[in-house]
Amino acid sequence: MRKILSFLLVLVFGAVPSWASLGLSEQSVHADQQRMAGQLKSATFNGFTVHEITGAGGMVVREYVSPVGTVFGVVWEGPTMPDLSQLLGPYFPKFQQAAANVRYRRGPLYVQDGPFVVESGGHMRAFRGRAYVTSLIPANLTKDVIR
Amino acid sequence: MKAHTLSVRDLRTLGCALALVAGTFALPGCSSVKGGGGASSGGGGGSSASNSLAITVNAGAATSKVNIPLVSVTICVPGTMNCQIIQNVLVDTGSNGLRLLQTQVTIPLLTALDTAGNPLGECAMFADGTFLWGSVATADIELSGEKASAVPIQIVRTTGSVGFPTVPTTCSGNGTDAGTVSVLDANGILGVGLFKQDCGVPCTVVPPANAYYDAGAACVPASCSTIAVPLVNQLQNPVSLFTTDNNGVLISLPTVGATGATSVSGSLIFGIGTQTNNALGTAKVYTTDSFGYITATYNGFSYPQSVIDSGSNAYYFLDFATTSFPQCMVVLGFYCPASSTNFTVTNIGNNGISGPVMFSIFSADTLFSSNPNFKVFSNIGAPFSGAFDYGIPFFYGRPVFTAINGQNTPGGMGPYFAY
Repeated sequence: MRKILSFLLVLVFGAVPSWASLGLSEQSVHADQQRMAGQLKSATFNGFTVHEITGAGGMVVREYVSPVGTVFGVVWEGPTMPDLSQLLGPYFPKFQQAAANVRYRRGPLYVQDGPFVVESGGHMRAFRGRAYVTSLIPANLTKDVIR
Repeated sequence: MKAHTLSVRDLRTLGCALALVAGTFALPGCSSVKGGGGASSGGGGGSSASNSLAITVNAGAATSKVNIPLVSVTICVPGTMNCQIIQNVLVDTGSNGLRLLQTQVTIPLLTALDTAGNPLGECAMFADGTFLWGSVATADIELSGEKASAVPIQIVRTTGSVGFPTVPTTCSGNGTDAGTVSVLDANGILGVGLFKQDCGVPCTVVPPANAYYDAGAACVPASCSTIAVPLVNQLQNPVSLFTTDNNGVLISLPTVGATGATSVSGSLIFGIGTQTNNALGTAKVYTTDSFGYITATYNGFSYPQSVIDSGSNAYYFLDFATTSFPQCMVVLGFYCPASSTNFTVTNIGNNGISGPVMFSIFSADTLFSSNPNFKVFSNIGAPFSGAFDYGIPFFYGRPVFTAINGQNTPGGMGPYFAY
């Protein structure tokens, strides 16, 4: 996947105002890139589009958009955590509730609430995670593309 | 909290302070407050263990979790005898720097100022979706016989805390405020991980990573600016500032049986190969990449973002589907296999050194309910499919060294884990 990505990547630099939170439409929210003060690259593949923002301090966020324009997955990697309330959008309350329910856990997070999944790990200086909604993943893809 | 008792070292420091006040600057051993410790370099017999701090592993300060390793930390107003012992501070090889809940700190510590002349704020964010918001202050830190002077630490605030700006939304957006004993299950975090600073270069550039904040009057929740902070003004791993024994730590904990224990005691030992009690011995060195990651391989798959983290309280790995383990009914989020199940994982360092890790996972529901007083378990696991996160159970019966980036040791330069 990485190799394919670097091979096919079509770089579209600039202030493309199409950004979104998980589960929302590509056009519905324009805040992420502005909020991250980030640089945007976009690439289209067979069945989905990836927008990658590189923001302050090297935070990288990738959002995976289906052909119908819905964000079905997000990935982050960076020296700090991203603003999950922004990235997870309407799923953020579910995330908070599910995280609170697993009260004996102290460590990386794995939250599953129906079709909504969040994995968040790493350690200070190097965090990495992803979130997706299985029911929004296009039929020809699996969660493995969200990486 | 206990009252601070005066040690020989303290008396010497006091003597130095008095000498300085009297203008007698030539008193031997009083060249600076920073040199006030130093007992660790003497003798080498190891029995005095001036480089060793007692660890207790139990349910935590709020007795709400399991497998929480805690130590006592002494902080002082810089250059003075005005000190305080803070108990129940989490030992964390997954972070760097000392963070203490404001509610636990009674000595007057000065808030650090940023390059704009305003109070310096910090938002520490953790992978579990929690955050700690507060000010950066300066304190001397004493850990056993070791001392680090004028160290930037975080004073953690929480909702309703006065005298400092309320948490910005760009910080609280990470999820849950862990700035209370009940949520943190500790009075603070002692980060003794792989790095000298908690953030590093990403917080020195403009725009900086989302960690340090310009917490002046203009800082309100909806709009509080991050600010670049030079490396030396960021939170520091106190170990790297010790005069000696400053290249890393060894965590030594006893073996824990298959049914668990109420609590266990062990040691946080400073230095690697600097004393008789911290020799590498037969431990293998697994260097990390620049992010502090090693690679774990299991069943033909590679997990290159794996970590060894005393601040994690279980083996976090794979998921319910891959392990075929059912989810626990009571201890939510954990694995509950019907019988104890063995795993062999191969860890690979950035230096190519590899070796197997063997561990067992049993039902957290069964273990917790069989002995309700037991709060220490060597064989609990939970899903995290992105990597292997070896928490504190990995440390039971296995001395683990954590070497700091850029520090030399008999096993080579940090960063590395060795066990």
